[in-house]
Amino acid sequence: MHTTKIFIKKNKIGNYLKHAREHYIRDDIYCGFESCDKCTRATSNLSSKHVNKCNLLKNNHYLILDTNVILDQIDVLDENVIGNVIILNTVLKEVKHRNMPIYKRLISIIENPSRHFYIFVNDFNKGTYLKQELTELINDYNDRCIRKACSWYIEHIPDETFVLLTEDKNNRAIAQQEDIPAYSIVEYVQNLTANENLIDKLAKKEFQEKFNAADIFPPHLTIVEIDKGIKDGRLHQGTFRASRDNFLEGSVNIQSFEEDVILRGYSNLNRVIDGDVVAIEVFQKDQWVSPSELVLEDDTVNALDDNLERKELEISKQRTSKKNIKPTGRVVGIIKRKWRQYCGILQEGSAAVYHLFLPADRKIPKIRIETRQAETLKTQKIIVAIDSWPRNSRYPNGHFVRALGKIGDMKTENEVILLEHDVPHSQFSEEVLSCLPKLPWLITEEDEKVRVDLRGIDICSVDPPGCTDIDDALHCRPISDDKLEVGVHIADVSHFIRPYTALDTEAASRSTTVYLVNKRIDMVPDLLSSNLCSLRGGEERFAFSCIWEMDHNANILNTKFHKSIIKSKRAMTYEEAQLTIDDKTQTGSLAESLRNLNKLAKFLKKRRMDNGALVLASPEVKIMMDSETHDPIDVEVKKLFETNSMVEEFMLLANISVAEKILNDFPDCAVLRRHPEPPALNLEPLVKAGKHLGFEINIESGKKLAESLDQATRDDNPYLNTMLRILATRCMLQAVYFASGTFQKHEFFHYGLAVPLYTHFTSPIRRYADILVHRLLAVSCGADATYPDLMEKKKTAELCQNMNYRHRMAQYAGRASVALNTHLFFRGKIQDEKGYILYVRKNALQVLIPKYGLESTLYLGKKDEKLDIFTYNEEDQTQRCADVVFHAFDPVTIRLSMDSKNIQHEKFVLQLVFPVIEGFSVPPLEDVEMPEPEIPHKKRKK
Amino acid sequence: MPSNIQIRLATDRVNYTIALNQRIPKIYTPGEVITKQNEFMRGHGTYEENGDLKASVAGVKEEINKLISIRPLKCRYNGETGDVVIGRITEVQQKRWKVDTNSRLDSILLLSSVNLPGGELRRRSAEDEHMMRKYLQEGDLISAEVQNVFSDGSLSLHTRSLKYGKLSQGVLVKVSPTLIKRSKTRFHNLPVGANIILGNNGYIWISPIMNVEESSVGGFVQNLEEVISKPERETISRLRNCIQALAQCKMMLYDTSVLYAYEESLKYDVKELLIPEAIVDLGILTQERISMLTSG
Amino acid sequence: MSRKELISKVGLRLDGRRADELRRIRCKLGVFSEPDGSAYIEQGLTKVLAAVYGPHQVRGNRLKAQADAVIINCQFSMAVFSTSERKKRPRGDRKSTELSLHLRQALIAAIEVEKYPWSQIDVYVEVLHADGGIFPACVNAATLALIDAGIPIKEYVCACTASIANNNQAMVDISHEEEILGGPTLTIVALPMSEKIVLMEMSQRFHLDHLKSVLEKALEGCKNTKNILDQAVQNHIVDVGASTGWASTGEKVKR
Repeated sequence: MHTTKIFIKKNKIGNYLKHAREHYIRDDIYCGFESCDKCTRATSNLSSKHVNKCNLLKNNHYLILDTNVILDQIDVLDENVIGNVIILNTVLKEVKHRNMPIYKRLISIIENPSRHFYIFVNDFNKGTYLKQELTELINDYNDRCIRKACSWYIEHIPDETFVLLTEDKNNRAIAQQEDIPAYSIVEYVQNLTANENLIDKLAKKEFQEKFNAADIFPPHLTIVEIDKGIKDGRLHQGTFRASRDNFLEGSVNIQSFEEDVILRGYSNLNRVIDGDVVAIEVFQKDQWVSPSELVLEDDTVNALDDNLERKELEISKQRTSKKNIKPTGRVVGIIKRKWRQYCGILQEGSAAVYHLFLPADRKIPKIRIETRQAETLKTQKIIVAIDSWPRNSRYPNGHFVRALGKIGDMKTENEVILLEHDVPHSQFSEEVLSCLPKLPWLITEEDEKVRVDLRGIDICSVDPPGCTDIDDALHCRPISDDKLEVGVHIADVSHFIRPYTALDTEAASRSTTVYLVNKRIDMVPDLLSSNLCSLRGGEERFAFSCIWEMDHNANILNTKFHKSIIKSKRAMTYEEAQLTIDDKTQTGSLAESLRNLNKLAKFLKKRRMDNGALVLASPEVKIMMDSETHDPIDVEVKKLFETNSMVEEFMLLANISVAEKILNDFPDCAVLRRHPEPPALNLEPLVKAGKHLGFEINIESGKKLAESLDQATRDDNPYLNTMLRILATRCMLQAVYFASGTFQKHEFFHYGLAVPLYTHFTSPIRRYADILVHRLLAVSCGADATYPDLMEKKKTAELCQNMNYRHRMAQYAGRASVALNTHLFFRGKIQDEKGYILYVRKNALQVLIPKYGLESTLYLGKKDEKLDIFTYNEEDQTQRCADVVFHAFDPVTIRLSMDSKNIQHEKFVLQLVFPVIEGFSVPPLEDVEMPEPEIPHKKRKK
Repeated sequence: MPSNIQIRLATDRVNYTIALNQRIPKIYTPGEVITKQNEFMRGHGTYEENGDLKASVAGVKEEINKLISIRPLKCRYNGETGDVVIGRITEVQQKRWKVDTNSRLDSILLLSSVNLPGGELRRRSAEDEHMMRKYLQEGDLISAEVQNVFSDGSLSLHTRSLKYGKLSQGVLVKVSPTLIKRSKTRFHNLPVGANIILGNNGYIWISPIMNVEESSVGGFVQNLEEVISKPERETISRLRNCIQALAQCKMMLYDTSVLYAYEESLKYDVKELLIPEAIVDLGILTQERISMLTSG
Repeated sequence: MSRKELISKVGLRLDGRRADELRRIRCKLGVFSEPDGSAYIEQGLTKVLAAVYGPHQVRGNRLKAQADAVIINCQFSMAVFSTSERKKRPRGDRKSTELSLHLRQALIAAIEVEKYPWSQIDVYVEVLHADGGIFPACVNAATLALIDAGIPIKEYVCACTASIANNNQAMVDISHEEEILGGPTLTIVALPMSEKIVLMEMSQRFHLDHLKSVLEKALEGCKNTKNILDQAVQNHIVDVGASTGWASTGEKVKR
C-alpha cells in the first residue's frame, strides 16, 4: 500500500541532536480530477464547470499557487472570481507555519465547495516527492517541490492547462524553463476578465520602486542576526505596545528589565506596529529618558509626504529631563508581525490614487493604500490590510479589503467596534440553529423524573429593567424556627447546549455575550437566551439549583446542588424589588422571602468586607436611547439599590459554593476564576496619589488596602474617596478563568473578593465559562455524564484562554460603544460640567467628569506646546499658575464641547471654567447652573 | 595486534540461507489450528483448545499413526534413551553429578552409573563419595549415553562403557541439536586425522587421534601433557570451522557432510573460513556434493 | 484548536500514514547463534533486539524454582544511543523494571508455563532506537525470539499502541513525534487470535467515550502486527527448513 523512505533531520535544541522521522510515500493520493482514471478516487472540489478567464491564457486553466502568493494576496483569493485552485501540501504547511490567521482563512476558502479549491498532498505522493538535498535551503526545496508538482500535473492530465502563480522571480524563471506556465499574481489579476475591484485588493509590496525615495529607516536585522544577538544578551525580545497618546512612543516589556523599555522617535521605533514581537537594543544609561508627558498626534495629510523631522525635533527636546528615567532602546528587528486588518477611514486631501488610511485604533499608524474608488470610499468606513513597510516609506503600505458602510451610521459604527475588538458577530449559521430544540417546547415526564420539582416554591428573579436574558432567580423560605432555606436557581443552559454540537462550538468561540449600548451580540441564539433559558415570570423552566440551609446569621449549614424545574412567580426589576421590601404593607410570601434574603445578604456582605474584599469603583453610566431614532438622548449614571447588592451577594455565594464543589470533584480540570494580587509596582501610582493627598495607602495585603481606602476620606471633597477607588481599580490585574490543573493551589486566590476559590456559575446564558461549570457540576451531582474534552486539562486551559480574551474584548467593546454614544450625545452641545483632575501631566490635565463617566484631556495651552504661565512640578505632580495650583483629585469646572472636525476621531474639547485663570479659562455659560456631581455607583470587582 | 581485522556493516550482512528448490511443506505457526478432528493424539508442539488441535511452536507437522506433533526447527535437546551426548559437569552433589547437556534441565550422572577406576564390579564406598570431585569436577567435559528419561524431563546418563568418559584434549562446538543427523554411530574416526563425536544434544567434540590404550583407562584420566602437533591442531581447527560453517548455513551435520565440507574447505586458509562469503561458498559446495551423492 | 493537528485535513498523519496504518514492520529471526532464540524487529524507526535463553536449569537461587511452572525472567534495557539525547540508562531503574515486569506478564499469558517445571526462561530485550511504541516492539520481538527458540506458546502475543488525534479520531501505532504532540496513549498487549487482552496501559487518563474506539484500533493493530510477524516466521522457517532439507523431520516421518 505504501512505500517507505526515511530521512534524517538535524535539529538544534541547545546542542546538536539527531532526529529521525519517517516519511511514508504513498501511491494512493488523488489528483483531484474527476476525469482522471489513474488515481484512487476521493472527494475533490475541483470542477470543470468553473472557468477562470484570463487574457494571458487562451482557455480555462487550473491554478497552482506559491506560498508567497497566499501569504500576500489572501484578500484576492477571497474573491469568488478565482477558482479551481490546487493548493499543494508543501504550500499549505508553509502558510500554516508562517501565518496562522491567513492559514485559517485559506482553510475556510478550501472548505467552501463553491470555490473549487483542492489540497493536493504532493509531499507524500510518490510522483511528486523530492528529497531535500544536503545543502539545499528550505525555500529552494519548497520551490522545487512546487515546480515538480506542476510538471507532474501537466504530465498527469495532459488535457488541462496548469498555471503556476508565484511572486518569486527566480522561481518563475526556472518554472518557465521547465515549460511550466508561470505568472506573477499581479500580472495575472490585471489580465483577469472580471477584475474591477480585484486590483485594489492586490497587496502592494513594491511601492518603493515607484518612489525611489531615500531610505528613512535603518534596516532590520535578519533573523539569524537577531537570534545571535538575543543569545549574546545584546538584544532583547518583547512585544511592542504603542502609546495611545503619543504616536512616536511606545514600550516593550522584556524579561531582563523590571520596567518597560521605552522606544521613542521614528528611527528608534523603526516601523514597528502595535503588537509586533520585536528585537530591541537597550541604550546606555546616559541615553535613557523618562516617559513622555506629551500628547502627540500624527497630522500629516499627504500620502507622499515623507518628512519626519519636525515631530522628531519636539520629541528630542524632551531628553533633558533626567528624573524618572526609564530604560530606553530602539528596535533593531522584527521577530513576528502581528498585523491584522484595520478599520478606519480614508484621510481627505489626496487626489491621486495613493491615499492615506486613518485607522480607528489610535495605536496604529496611518497606512498608505492605492485605490481608484476613493470618491466612493471617502464616506465609508473601510477595512485595510498592511502589506509591507519598506525602509524608504514613511507609512506602511497596504491595500483596501472591503467597505463597511457609511461613516457615522450607527450600524457601521457598531460594526467597527465589533471588528476592532474581534467580536464574532455574524448571524448564527443554519447548522447552529439546527441544534436548537423545536417549538413548542414541552417538559416531558422524563424530565420530571430526573429533576427536582420546585414549581411550588415562590421563586422570583431580580434584574435590571428591560432584561430579557434572565439567568438567575432566588427564593428563601423558613424550614424551621432557626433555619432558612435559600435557593439560587440558574437557567439550565447546559441542558440545551450539548458538547460537540455546532451550537456548543459556536458558543465556546463567542464565549460571552457582548453588550453594546444599543445592541446585544448573543453568545447563544435568541430562542435560548431570551426564551427557553430565560427564567421568565410565570413560565416553567429548567434550572440548576443551589440550595443552602442557613441560620438567621447567614451561616451555611448545608449545601446541595441539583437540577430542577422551577416556575418563577415574578420577574422583578431592582427597583420593584426594593419597593416590595420597603413597602411594609406587602406581606405576601414573595415579599417576606425578599426581606429575608436582603437581611441575609447584609450579613454575607459584612462578612466579606471583614475578610478584606475590596470595594472598587469605576464610573459607569447608562445611555438612554431614543426608541425611535436609536440616538442617545441622555447619559446618566446607573442607579443602585440595596437589592442590587442583595442579588450580588447570593450570586457570589453560589459561585463560591460551586467552585468548592467542582474543585473537590475535579482537581485537575475545574474551571475557576482567579484574581491575582497586583504587584507592588502596579499599585505605585495609587500609593503616590495617596501620598500627595496625605494618606497612607497600605498595599501589604488586600485587607490592608481595603482598610486604608476606607480611611482615605476628606470632608471637603466627598468624591475623593471614589477617585481613589477608581484609581485603585485601574491598578488591579484582570481576573481570569483557568483550569485548576494549570496553577498551584495558592494561586487560586481571588484578590478582589478575598476568597480562596471562585468561579462563574450564575450567568450561563451570557458566559461560556458558566456552561462549563454547569457541566462539571452536573457530573458532580450525577445529573449528566462527562465527555472527553471536559476532563482534559489542556483543552480546558485552551477554552479558558479564549474566554479570557473574549471577555476582555467584550469589555473593551462595551466601553467603546459607550464612548461612541457619549460622543454622539454631545455632538453640537456645549456644557459646563464639574469634574475632577485624575492625573497631572506635563502639558495637560486628565479630567474625569463623573456625570458622564467621561475622562478627557484638558490641554494646558495649545495642543502641542504648553503655555508658559504654567509650571509643572514633577515631584508633587502639580501644575501651578500664579496662585492656582492643580493637584490630582482637585475639583474643576470644565466646558465640554465636541470637536467634530475629524470624523473618525471626534473628540471632546475641554476648556477650563473654574478656577479662573486669566487668559486661559473661559467664562461660565450663563444659563447653566452648576450641577452637583453625583457619586457614581460603587462597583465591586467580580 | 593482528593487522587484518574484518569489520563489516550490518547492511552488508551475507544471507546464509542456501535456498534449494524443493517442495515446501506446510508450516504451522503458534496458534494455528492443525485439525479440528479429535481422534488424534496430542504430541509435542501442540495443544488442545476448544476441541481443536493447535500448534504451539513454529515448524512442520509430523504424524506417527495418531500422534501429531509439530517439530520446531530449533529447540533445546530432548533426550531419548540411547542417545550419545557430550556434557559439562556443572555441579558435584552427593552421589551424583549434574551435567549440562543443552536440555532444559541439567542431566544427572549417578556415581553408580560410572566406571570407577579399578574395575567394573567395584563397590562404591563412602570414600568414593568424597573422592567424586577427584574423578570429575565442575567444568569437566564428558561423553555419555542417556540411560533413561525422568518424568520431569531430565536425563539420567551413564558412562559405563569405555567409549564414554572424561574428555581430554580437543575442541567443543555447540550447535542446535536439530542439526545433528540421527545415525547409529556417533563416534567417527575421520580419515583426515581427527576423532569427532557428534553428540545428539548438539555438542560436538573434536579431538586428535590418541593411542587406543589411553582411552581404556576408565575415562577419568586427562592426558594434558602430550603435545599435539601443529598440523593436527590445524586440522582440528579447520574441522571446527567447517562444522560452524555448516551450522551457520543450517545444514545437517553427519560424518559425510563434515568430511565433504572439510575437503571443500581446503582451498581456504583455516581462518578464512570465518569470513561469511567463505562460509556460504562452503555451504553451497558441500550441498552440491551431498546432492550428487544422493542422486547418484 | 491550538494543539497541533495530528491528522491533517486530507487525512494523513505527520509521517504520511493514515489513521489505521501501522508503521513499517521489518523483522528477522535467529540473529544470534549463542542464545536459544533471538529476533530483531523494526517498527518504524523503533528498533529492538530480543534474545531468549532456555528453558534451562534454574541457576543461582534454586529456591526460586517452581514445581509446577517455568520461571520467566525478563530484562528490559535501552541502549545509551537509543534516543536523540545520549543518556546513561542504568539497569534496574524504575522505568526498565516496570517494563520488564510488564513484558513478563505479557509473555506468561502465552507461554505454556506448566510444561517446564523447575526450569527458567530468560528474555532479554534491548532497545537500539526509540521512536515511540518501545514496549510493543519489545513484546513483538520477544514473541519472535520465543518462537525462534522453539518454546511452545499458545499463540502470538502482539502489542500495539493507539491514541486519539484531533480530539476524536482514533489512530494506531503512535510514533514518538505523535506521542509528544498528542494526548494519552493506550498500549495493549493482546492474543490477537483469541482476541484476549493481556495487558493494557495508558500514559494518561482517557475519557471513557474514547476508550472503546481507541481500544478497537489498538486491537486491530495487534491483529495486523500478528499477520506480519506470522509471515516473517513462515519465511524464516522455509529458509532454514530448506537448508536442512527438512531432514530432521523427513527422517522422523519415515521411522
